[in-house]
Amino acid sequence: MADNAATCTCEAVPEEELLARLEGVIAEYREKPGALIPVLQIAQGIFGYLPEVALKRIAVGLDKPYSEVAGVVTFYSFFSTEPRGRHLVRVCLGTACYVRGGKQVLDALKAKLGCDVGQTTADRNFTLEVARCFGACGLAPALMIDDDVHQRVKPARLQAILDRYAVESGDAQPIPGGE
Amino acid sequence: MTTRNRIESVTDLQAVRERAIKAANTAGASPDRRQVLVCTGGGCIASGSLDVVSAFRRTLAAKGLDGSVQLLETGCLGPCAQGPVVVVYPDGTFYQQVKAADVDEIVDSHLLRNTVVSRLVNRHSGTGELVPLIKNLEFFKKQVKIVLRNCGVVDPLKIEDYIAHDGYAALAKALTQMTADAVVDEIKASGLRGRGGGGFPTGLKWSFARKSPNPVKYVLCNADEGDPGAFMDRSVLEGDPHSVIEAMAIAGYCIGSTQGFVYVRAEYPLAIERLGIAIQQARDVGLLGKNILGTGFEFDLEIRRGSGAFVCGEETALMTSIEGNRGEPRPRPPFPAVKGLWDKPSLLNNVETYANIAPILLKGSAWYAAYGTAKSKGTKVFALAGAVKNTGLVEIPIGMPLGELVFEVGGGIPGNKKYKAAQMGGPSGGCIPTEHLGVPVDYESLIELGAIIGSGGLIVMDDDACMVDVARFFLEFCQDESCGKCAPCRIGTKRMLEILERICDGHGVEGDVERLIELGNTIKDTALCGLGQTAPNPVLSTIRYFRNEYDAHIREKKCPAGACTALVRAPCQNACPAGVDVPGFVSLVGEGRYSDAMKWHRDRNPLASICARVCFHPCESKCRRVTLDTPVAIRGIKRFMVDQPVDLELPEMRPVAANANRKVAIIGGGPAGLSAAYFLARLGYTPTVFEAESKAGGMLVQTIPAYRLPRERLEAEIKLIESMGVTILTDKRLGRDFTLNGLRGEGYQAVFLGIGAMKGSTLGLPNETADGVAEALSFLKAANMGTGVTVGRRVAVIGGGNAAIDAARTAKRLGAEDVTIVYRRRRNEMPAWEVEIDEALTEGVILETLVAPVEVVVENGRVVGLACQRMELGSYDKSGRRRPVPIKGALFTIPVDQIVAAVGQSVESAGLFGDVPVTLNRDGTVKADPQTGRTSVEWLFAGGDATVGPSSVVEAIAAGERAAVGIDAALTGANHAFWREERTVDTAFDPDAEPIYLQRAHECLRPVAERTGSFAEVELTWSETVARGEARRCLRCDYRESC
Repeated sequence: MADNAATCTCEAVPEEELLARLEGVIAEYREKPGALIPVLQIAQGIFGYLPEVALKRIAVGLDKPYSEVAGVVTFYSFFSTEPRGRHLVRVCLGTACYVRGGKQVLDALKAKLGCDVGQTTADRNFTLEVARCFGACGLAPALMIDDDVHQRVKPARLQAILDRYAVESGDAQPIPGGE
Repeated sequence: MTTRNRIESVTDLQAVRERAIKAANTAGASPDRRQVLVCTGGGCIASGSLDVVSAFRRTLAAKGLDGSVQLLETGCLGPCAQGPVVVVYPDGTFYQQVKAADVDEIVDSHLLRNTVVSRLVNRHSGTGELVPLIKNLEFFKKQVKIVLRNCGVVDPLKIEDYIAHDGYAALAKALTQMTADAVVDEIKASGLRGRGGGGFPTGLKWSFARKSPNPVKYVLCNADEGDPGAFMDRSVLEGDPHSVIEAMAIAGYCIGSTQGFVYVRAEYPLAIERLGIAIQQARDVGLLGKNILGTGFEFDLEIRRGSGAFVCGEETALMTSIEGNRGEPRPRPPFPAVKGLWDKPSLLNNVETYANIAPILLKGSAWYAAYGTAKSKGTKVFALAGAVKNTGLVEIPIGMPLGELVFEVGGGIPGNKKYKAAQMGGPSGGCIPTEHLGVPVDYESLIELGAIIGSGGLIVMDDDACMVDVARFFLEFCQDESCGKCAPCRIGTKRMLEILERICDGHGVEGDVERLIELGNTIKDTALCGLGQTAPNPVLSTIRYFRNEYDAHIREKKCPAGACTALVRAPCQNACPAGVDVPGFVSLVGEGRYSDAMKWHRDRNPLASICARVCFHPCESKCRRVTLDTPVAIRGIKRFMVDQPVDLELPEMRPVAANANRKVAIIGGGPAGLSAAYFLARLGYTPTVFEAESKAGGMLVQTIPAYRLPRERLEAEIKLIESMGVTILTDKRLGRDFTLNGLRGEGYQAVFLGIGAMKGSTLGLPNETADGVAEALSFLKAANMGTGVTVGRRVAVIGGGNAAIDAARTAKRLGAEDVTIVYRRRRNEMPAWEVEIDEALTEGVILETLVAPVEVVVENGRVVGLACQRMELGSYDKSGRRRPVPIKGALFTIPVDQIVAAVGQSVESAGLFGDVPVTLNRDGTVKADPQTGRTSVEWLFAGGDATVGPSSVVEAIAAGERAAVGIDAALTGANHAFWREERTVDTAFDPDAEPIYLQRAHECLRPVAERTGSFAEVELTWSETVARGEARRCLRCDYRESC
């Protein structure tokens, strides 16, 4: 299942090819009830985010008003209509992480990355988001970079964690949970 | 890929089960074949368990063991804090915090030489003994695993492993031996209630959906576990996905449905992946699909992934979301059982609820109902998180007292911090404070206290958590997640959040709390769905139990926990009752500017040399350095500072000429009175201190022994206060030598009452008036003031506070041969300082804990012994500690010739105030405004132990300062407290430099041999190198970028 990839590794692929892939997905889902959200999830996997052109294709393809598609996209926090960085950094601000210093971790990250929540670094390496609980409460405070959970993070250790991702090209895999 | 044979009948299922047991041999089933189980739950993966798995795979192969030792990747075992965890069967040895580098040793030692690797084994928290076997671990001992029966036991990616553990046997039983009605009745009889939070009887829900007439129905599983702090659903899906699939198929059979959906939140990619694999395997063998087990029953499942909206955990919103829309809730009725997904009757249960179904059908409702309470049956999984040692997943019988869950299963609070509250039920729940630790954890009892079981998130909070900030956090969460459909939730929570934000920022105003309560109740009554109706709960609950914290934020602009950044300059300074600028004086010491340091300290606390010795240093417990290594030893630095041979300088004075003629009397020359006099003098007042004894100093000179507090320094500090225009009159006792009304007659415009709590409580035991029974304060006073003290040969001291330790160590120094402290609780519950207890023991004092005195044994009117009763721990009491209860028949007598009772102090106020109408609190202390010290009488102020009961020196100093400001404000109508203005110290600090990596310096103590018979000070001063090095460990939290 490639559709749950939160980041995009597709900068080199021309848009037409991505749109063609999307058309295939739409055709596959067209007849299924409740298809809109799964299609949007897959589309975000294809494009890395949800560009307007894709949303329009989906609206036409699933025979839904564009307003309805846009309404669903803006309702759910996982959908983004802005391009994302190569890596998605999500700082957990769930209760356990919050009481264990998640806020300090977030503040330190904002300072380190030089961007605010919801923004992407100038080099497009990282997008910073906050999240509500990964269920890693036993290991709070936690943050998640792409699909790797980093546990018991302290502001002092952030640089070392980020470095592992920053040096990689877009397609290399980080060492999972190797700290 | 393994090719799987189809299972087309119950016989096939049996055969697969037997084959699986034989081939894979279940954990512990075969003595000759070993298994290594590595937890690959989310927590352990984050700790690096996948590396451990590959290391095992490599090493087992390299040693040729891959044929004889089976390696299993299991789901979550529970103790996430100890991850990665590994269990080796058949013996069941539990290894914790295993790294890939440890694997060689485990294989060599355990698997090849049968020797347990003890360094990776758990230790008993109390005794420190090794606990190698998983079944003996404290963490697991009180747990009952029904929901989590297979988590950490089976390989979630192998359906055969699940089948070997009775998997799909319940489905087979239902399809072939039971009618749908019988299954529903069995569930009803079990008493199972919805585990997602609602607690609705599951059997009843099933029968509603069953009765709903419609050919198309849906079975839904809510795995949108959005409650931050709960992760049991995730663990079940990751560790035992087939248990949910099986239960949903059974539900399909009961209600007449062929299609199910599992709605999983997008934050759980691993759960989605494993559930997906499990569904595919079930389809492959025919346990999902058409004609299941040859019975003609058809059922299939689909996963729907959430997209990050908390409200979708609400059942109607969840269905709206599956339908492909914005996940907004819809009004109920109609309930889902009538009109659910795509308007068809639907049955929606939570993951944990489903995980209970198969065991209930296999073992019977009576077995299940044997666990739990009358109204809440079975077990509940809790996710322990926050300030608790054993963070992780635990499953306990419903009804276990909360204290047992937190302190025994959870292992208590780490870092010697104090339990403050447990937040239960997440954003819909509330908190349970210390006084209710005895509450049984069941649906009804928690609701009474304003909390809920909810989905089972249990966040333990210690003193570092600010309850206003916690309430703000939860409300921010709900506000952010509000779908916006109904106005009370969309607008109401926003307004509440604005109020909470301004309180946390120091802009709260009187009436804010009342506004929060009113808004909260309105939202509860009018919001459309569960999210809105419960959103105010965390706020209302924290107001209910921690109103004082709200008041501190609003009135004093102070965050007692030190969490609200806008109100906290440096956490140490915030924690100091007297508000001493800790980073200021510490950095001055670091630069060797001792005179400046002393002056900086004395700006907020005139009794520096006293606090350097006897302060319980709340500053250190809040030191942020702890996030790096250990707190800065602030008191040690202060001790070094006050011992430097520098002359005391007068503090900054801003006298107002008119104040010299405003007469102020201060009754009591203890720390509260001296502090009040000091701060009044700085404003130009010339107060008179009336001291009952022959020396000023109060408790400091009367009861604190000289080995802890040499008198010379104290005298120097008192002299300095006198030099500021303060007159101290000794041997002047209120009620004997003068009266309050008399002072008024002499023209005193304001009077401060700092008379302490000097009356020792009595034991309340038979014969306690016998010759040889003393009360600790009188005993210490006689010893310290040199008025003649009698010390026995064998002494028993009763009590666990500092007075008890002082009395014991003093008795020892005065020649007692045996000194025994008798305390009815455990050592870690003694209110005395840890280090004082240690030193008492070092000096030869004997400590008898869990022992209560029952009678003073007397011969010829003289004490000859203390009859005692051994105690054990009972249920949790109001203090949040287990109540000691007598062990029947465990009586013994300690032969003694003297008994010193140190069992509490109170205010001696009888006949003290004449006809002045002073209002007292219920405990006999003087009622006074905590901010200004003003009592019920306009011109009378009070502070220190006299108003709050026995407390600390630094609290008394702070109360004296507040009363001085209060008195000045009352006399002049304005606040002149210039020392409260924030000032920045001029020491150098480079914010970009790396912190200095030095370990905390240890206390330096006089050798025990030198202490006998001597009252010389026990704690010694550091060398300059040590002290300045320690001072440079300060992280300078006070530092702000200046523009």
